Amino acid sequence: MMRGGLERKSKASSEIPSSSLADMAFLLLIFFMVSTVFRKEQPRDAEFPEAEATQKLDEPRKDILHIWVERDGAIWINDQNTPMEAVAPIVNELYRESNQRLVPVLRADRDVPYRVMNSLQEQLQEAGTVRVTFYTNLEQRMARARR
Amino acid sequence: MAILKKKNRPSGEIPTASMADIAFLLLVFFLVTTVFEEEKGLRIVLPERQEEIEVSQKNVLHLTVQPDGVVQVKRGESPQVQPVSSSQISSIWRQEFSRNENLIAAVKTHPEASYRFMIDVLDQLQAAGAERISLQQLEL
Repeated sequence: MMRGGLERKSKASSEIPSSSLADMAFLLLIFFMVSTVFRKEQPRDAEFPEAEATQKLDEPRKDILHIWVERDGAIWINDQNTPMEAVAPIVNELYRESNQRLVPVLRADRDVPYRVMNSLQEQLQEAGTVRVTFYTNLEQRMARARR
Repeated sequence: MAILKKKNRPSGEIPTASMADIAFLLLVFFLVTTVFEEEKGLRIVLPERQEEIEVSQKNVLHLTVQPDGVVQVKRGESPQVQPVSSSQISSIWRQEFSRNENLIAAVKTHPEASYRFMIDVLDQLQAAGAERISLQQLEL
């Protein structure tokens, strides 16, 4: 009895303390939950074209404006259905608010007739946002070879 | 006697040993299910409003995109029109650009052609390293 007690007291713990493990895990969990930004916009009916030369954009998320063009030619900016003539004033206002840093990304369906895209480009020129990006999915070389 | 008493008492606490496992399970679940949205695409700089530059015809490579996706290539001043598929455009551009460094690609798309045909041409030009690209609508 006496011997066992003494021995136990002098032995250094060889285990990593696991009582704080839950706290660490929850801390990580809460960190990721807080730092996650969810997409604000509604999903739209658009299938994007594919391109081999697709580049990643370096602009910060807040300087990117999504302009959605659905298959039927409907234009959506910030979840608002926008007629073609209204695109230039709306984009121009957002462009000035962002200190000329706004980059419109045209998320257009692949089968939209080009005249819609042409009018949209004219609207963007009028708004002063000349740096635009056509949203595309990266095309794999294998897919091209099959075509 | 005292030992017996202790054994009979039910534990009054929730076991905390599995707490870490539960937290890690949640953590891994959220890590795996999170999809980051990437911003990507083809960049282009449109000309400023009312900015028109006169270009000599010999420095222009005309690429006309038809509604069926066929691209008609017209080299500068020559009246010859060559129909090609969009996958041949990067090699045509490289060939023409090696002859003339001031070359501009003028992509004219038929208003009823699908947007993706224009993207195919733009993709080929950008993949070939073209920087001076003009996008227009074909005037009928």
